[in-house]
Amino acid sequence: MSLETSQINELHWLMEMLHTIDVGLVVLDRDYKIQIWNGFMENHSGLLPREVKDKELFPLFDEIPKAWFKRKAESVFLLKNKAFTIWEQRPYLFKFQNYRPITGAADYMYQNTTFIPLMSATGVVTHLCLIVYDVTDNASHKKDLEEANKELAILSQTDGLTKLFNRTHWEHCLQAEYKRWIRSKNPSCLVMIDIDHFKEVNDTYGHVVGDNVIRHISGLIRHHVRETDVSGRYGGEEFVILLADTPLENANVFAERLREEIEEAVVKYNDIDLKYTVSMGIAEIDDSIESYEAWIASSDKAMYRAKAAGRNKVVLHPKNSTTH
Amino acid sequence: MSIPLLICDDSNMARKQVARSLPDDWDVDISFATNGEEGIEAIKAGKGDVLLLDLNMPVMDGYQVLEAIMKQDLPTMVIVISGDIQPEAHQRVTSLGALDFIQKPVNKEKLTEILSAYGIFTQHDNEEALTVDIEKPAVIDEPPEHIELTPLTQAADVAMIEKEESTGDFLLDVELRDCYQEIANVAMGRAGDLLARLLDVFVVLPIPNVNLIEVSELSMALSDVEEQDSTSGICQGFIGAGISGEALLILNDSSFKDVASLMNYTYEVDESTELELLMDLANVLIGACLNGVSEQLDMPFSQGHPVVLGQHKKISQLIATNSKKWKRTLAIEISYSIEGYSIKCDLLLLFTEESMRTLNNKISYLLD
Repeated sequence: MSLETSQINELHWLMEMLHTIDVGLVVLDRDYKIQIWNGFMENHSGLLPREVKDKELFPLFDEIPKAWFKRKAESVFLLKNKAFTIWEQRPYLFKFQNYRPITGAADYMYQNTTFIPLMSATGVVTHLCLIVYDVTDNASHKKDLEEANKELAILSQTDGLTKLFNRTHWEHCLQAEYKRWIRSKNPSCLVMIDIDHFKEVNDTYGHVVGDNVIRHISGLIRHHVRETDVSGRYGGEEFVILLADTPLENANVFAERLREEIEEAVVKYNDIDLKYTVSMGIAEIDDSIESYEAWIASSDKAMYRAKAAGRNKVVLHPKNSTTH
Repeated sequence: MSIPLLICDDSNMARKQVARSLPDDWDVDISFATNGEEGIEAIKAGKGDVLLLDLNMPVMDGYQVLEAIMKQDLPTMVIVISGDIQPEAHQRVTSLGALDFIQKPVNKEKLTEILSAYGIFTQHDNEEALTVDIEKPAVIDEPPEHIELTPLTQAADVAMIEKEESTGDFLLDVELRDCYQEIANVAMGRAGDLLARLLDVFVVLPIPNVNLIEVSELSMALSDVEEQDSTSGICQGFIGAGISGEALLILNDSSFKDVASLMNYTYEVDESTELELLMDLANVLIGACLNGVSEQLDMPFSQGHPVVLGQHKKISQLIATNSKKWKRTLAIEISYSIEGYSIKCDLLLLFTEESMRTLNNKISYLLD
């Protein structure tokens, strides 16, 4: 084989590879007219190289934002620098359909692209090479992972039975509110709720019914609280609600309304109709309360006074008079 | 009589490069200064009828030197040799009285051409021997001074080889650090120039920070980013034969507003516009900086696709690495700021430990 033949062969192979490679290759001239269009581009767009040759890019693909594209491209022409775009920035440049019926995870092909300046012999950038990578798998895996992490974060903060915050997360929120109060001194109240004679419910009707009662009260709590309030399951039949930016008087109104509604409600399970009541204690944060733990203890103490006073009651933790 | 010539540059490697690029057969008496203050002293002591001056230096930079020369009317002719190649830098130094401006890395042809153009150096012309301000004729018969520099360079190579053997130690050899710093300096100038042209501003170039650090301590090693600042970042891998690493671009979130207006983006505070801006900056800065490095080392790099490190995060969250493979990294930190704007942007080139062998080889060629 002569040297020339082998060189021609090499060139031929190279062309064949560029045409077959699973990456999009496009060459554009200074007026954004398509000069080269490889197999990947042909197959995904359905447009043959001769159909796009010397045609301007933008009328053919109106999904490409002209101003955006030109901004990237002009800096490549001007600065002779490569430019990269990633799917996070713009999911795709060419709107190519997902082509894999089973393993294709997204509606459209996610793409990363590279802009490469092509120089003429005189050192002027006359053309631009556009490389298009299919990153659908990467992108959808990353999105799935983000989604899963988000779900995990919620799961780790939530009590399974009630869908309220679990104790760890709720205490975390309370601690943050306590710190916020130190700076803002805005009134905030902590409501402690305990179901009266819950042990008897369990003993008489069984745990399934007990669980239904717990679900019932947490439903009511969720229904009553505002978006900014933080409610959680503190223990077995104990619940807590943090009412931010709420003075004691308003918290009392809120608690009374909840207590009355619970008193009037009936929990139905098969042929069992069950009524229950709750005891509540409320503590407004003030200077005498020196930690978030002490805040919990104060509302807890008020709640036990409600129990001692005959249950189905709301008792307020006395406000510290020295602050006034 | 020899002409007293002063080379003022904080980088040892740059001083040598300049000294070796002086015309052959030129009878000069070379002195060196490592910062502006030393430079001014040397001129006053009569050691600098000709001054080859760098711009970015500690203690007293090149601009300040030029100002001092003007103010005190010191007898010297100044040619600036700098990696800062922004058109405005050129303008500023000539308006401060410099004769001309040469871009780093300096080469013999260019330097000879400029020295000849101003009549400072006259080729093979004893009769017409030039007279500098103070009327000292150049004599050409004596052997040129810079030949003596060769042993110095060899000494540097030895130091480097020793360094390579003692991998257990975290200190970067002074000589080597200086070389890296100078390479970074030139690359930084390239990127700064593109940034200046893209945004139409004057970019304030710092002195690059070169350190051999533990990857896990990266966030702490960043000198120009406050720990509590909210930042956004992009990372891009690069690889050439035997040299690889990642380039990181970290932008202070407070910079976005100014960057947006400079780039004519309508800025609504949203993450997608910010990502666009970040990508545009990364394309320009990382690309140009790598080109600058690749030009000097004579080695092309492939760049991978950029990866978003995160947006609106503290620096420690941004570069929380989970790489177990790389323990140490050669980190070059370049903190760009833009005159008149509150834009702060940190470019980091992180080379893998394994790259250092090739890097050191390449550098010893540069010094030869």
